[in-house]
Amino acid sequence: MSNYFHRVLLIYVKDIKDEFRTFDNLLSTIIFGVMLVFIFSFAFQLTDLAVDQAFSAVLWVSIFFSSVLAIQRSFAKERENNVMDALLLASGDRGIIFLAKFLCNLTVLLLFELVVVPLLWIFTGISALGHIQAGLFIGSLFLGSWGLAAIGTMLNGITIQLPSARLLFPILLFPLLIPLLIGVIQCTNTALLGVSEPLSGWVYFLISFNILFTVLPLVLFDFVLEG
Amino acid sequence: MSDQLDVIGVSKQIGPKRILTDVSFSSITGELLVITGPNGAGKTTLLRLIAGLSKKSSGQILWNGSCYGIDHGSLGYLSHKPMLYETLSVLDNMVFFAKMYDRFSMESIERLLERVGLWLYRYEPAAVLSRGMQQRLALARTLLFDPKLILYDEPFTGLDFNGQKLLREVLEEKRANSIQIVISHELSLLQGLPHEEMKLLRGRMVREGVSCE
Repeated sequence: MSNYFHRVLLIYVKDIKDEFRTFDNLLSTIIFGVMLVFIFSFAFQLTDLAVDQAFSAVLWVSIFFSSVLAIQRSFAKERENNVMDALLLASGDRGIIFLAKFLCNLTVLLLFELVVVPLLWIFTGISALGHIQAGLFIGSLFLGSWGLAAIGTMLNGITIQLPSARLLFPILLFPLLIPLLIGVIQCTNTALLGVSEPLSGWVYFLISFNILFTVLPLVLFDFVLEG
Repeated sequence: MSDQLDVIGVSKQIGPKRILTDVSFSSITGELLVITGPNGAGKTTLLRLIAGLSKKSSGQILWNGSCYGIDHGSLGYLSHKPMLYETLSVLDNMVFFAKMYDRFSMESIERLLERVGLWLYRYEPAAVLSRGMQQRLALARTLLFDPKLILYDEPFTGLDFNGQKLLREVLEEKRANSIQIVISHELSLLQGLPHEEMKLLRGRMVREGVSCE
């Protein structure tokens, strides 16, 4: 088992190092996200829309579109030169590749949010949150990113071998993400607006949803990456 | 210890197309099996099935009598594509795969890179290497551990005279403790190496186990 996680860690560290060495994936994702934030904040200034009401939807729209950009390139390096074959042979278990890629995508998304969320906060002028609200807000960001990374990695693995992968990936991703997006927008809204409706149902739903889409590919990746 | 590979009635179908039909052969440690045949005969598909990179439609592939597949640490695969991370340096490629196979030793990496003539280029990204140098690096990666089964898919691709000589040395050297299966159109490059020859034609085996010198 320790060997399993050791190999997960090796692929993860290689991918993260590569991410910071080339910086193109993370940087282009951040630039895209920042541009979305700018556009939304300009749009808010031109309308009478209550910013705090729309904040969570805007936040998750920005994260969703940027994540498509980030995640759809997660297997790009393996596609060049058939490196995927070498990686499959060296890992011995396809679940290892999924887990490492998922963790790498999750890290990239969290780093992206670290830049974009404060910017959106500043531009929209939302007031500061209390401890519990802040905790719930960070929790919903984490749960949303976890789900996005898990489903995105799984779908990227499925579509990577197809000739029209870049077209199919966002088309397949969106319907699968609808339940997740509804859940995280509810949680984020509650964190920001302090709505008193019970939230535990949504939190349990998000945790179950994320566990399902993290465990399922671990088992199914053997078929997903079948040549 | 001698190992045995048994391929029994293996077929592969993708959609309506039958790539391989009822292919059977056996090989034991010490054997060098050369698979020939025209383009599209199913040679690469057969190697991919043995390596576990692709799933067979029917039949059995047994490793020492077991159908659970070959342990990843026992299988070497040298393809005509170098299968290298182009953004990583020569050394980083070697270190990464050595660690993945749990065989990391800087001395052995240095020795292998010197043997394939790439030690001086160790900090260069794999992308800037010539095609032949990339193939040498792929060969060095295959030798990182001690595979019991080595699959070569057109391994001479891109290699210059010295590279071809080096690969022949490896084929000779690994004979003692490995089963080696080679796909090659360039049979002249294997002259002088005793081997069994098998021919595939439109996914069927038409000639089995002809001994050649």
